Amino acid sequence: MKARPVKKLDPTRSLAENAARIVGVRLGELRSLAPQALKPEKRTAQHDMRIAAKRLRYILEATETCFGEEAPAARRRARDLQDILGELHDCDVMLPRVHEHIARLHAEDVEATCEVATGAPDLDPRVAVAAPNRTHYRGLEVLTVYFEARRKVLHRRFREFWAEQERKGTWDRLERAAKATLRDTRARRRALEAGVD
Amino acid sequence: MAKAREIEGLDPQASYAEAAVLIVSVRAAELAEHAENVLDTTDIEGVHDMRVASRRLRAALEIFEPCFPQTDFRATLAAVKELADSLGGRRDRDVTLAALDAFAARAAAPDRPGIASLAKRTRDEQAKANQDLAPCVEPEALEALGRRIELLVRAARA
Repeated sequence: MKARPVKKLDPTRSLAENAARIVGVRLGELRSLAPQALKPEKRTAQHDMRIAAKRLRYILEATETCFGEEAPAARRRARDLQDILGELHDCDVMLPRVHEHIARLHAEDVEATCEVATGAPDLDPRVAVAAPNRTHYRGLEVLTVYFEARRKVLHRRFREFWAEQERKGTWDRLERAAKATLRDTRARRRALEAGVD
Repeated sequence: MAKAREIEGLDPQASYAEAAVLIVSVRAAELAEHAENVLDTTDIEGVHDMRVASRRLRAALEIFEPCFPQTDFRATLAAVKELADSLGGRRDRDVTLAALDAFAARAAAPDRPGIASLAKRTRDEQAKANQDLAPCVEPEALEALGRRIELLVRAARA
């Protein structure tokens, strides 16, 4: 997911003013992804939300001193969110790998079984019992059950975590802090530009 | 995961460009510090920490993009991204293997052959990913990247 561009960044203006703009945009990105990501089947939205949490976390790691006491807590919650969505993503990476591996073993066994039967008009079931990977399928199927179930558990944990942060106002407080920083730094800059001490 | 280093001496009222010099320099130093023993597959935390450091550096570069000359910035970002992608290729296999090993340790005996077959294939991929990563983490390559970042930082100072 490409990062939303941040307007009005200016190298000559203060770190605080620029950082406040970036945090506002990154927080908005994160919150905008929640409605879709909270649906279990929306894997792309969950992946995008993980990236958005990571971007918010990294800007706060570098600039949280610009935002007062709300920022460290928000940074830690962004990290926690990134961790939960990261574990969800690990399930989404693992499952296709296992399915692909099963398909590969299956194809190998079909090929090996056909070779044994070369020349025969039909296939004796005893030949299939000797398929080289025949003992592998059970464990791999159990593995897919595990990761599909784990995914459901992790998604529930994600929904509960997000609801808790909404209830506690974690993101609202960060948004207010970023707006206050932007307002104050802009006022300070305009006062300096106007020549007022 | 290694904690991000605090940026000492950071002044919220300093200019964006001044902050860029400080923060990008700190993140570049962190990356260099995590370069040791990365290719050791018996200790996967090394690659993880270096990958996180590369992500933090990339994030810092992207945050401060307006402070840098565009051509130099794009080339430097591409170099950091290439390193991050190579680290990611290794890390993905590390994570998969750790999950498979953890599962196999608790699995019933009849379930283990299948998991072992996937683990073997993943180990082969891990070895290949490590070969692809090796040139990116050689001291000369990292020094060249460090020099490139230093030039970029000097341009922001100017």
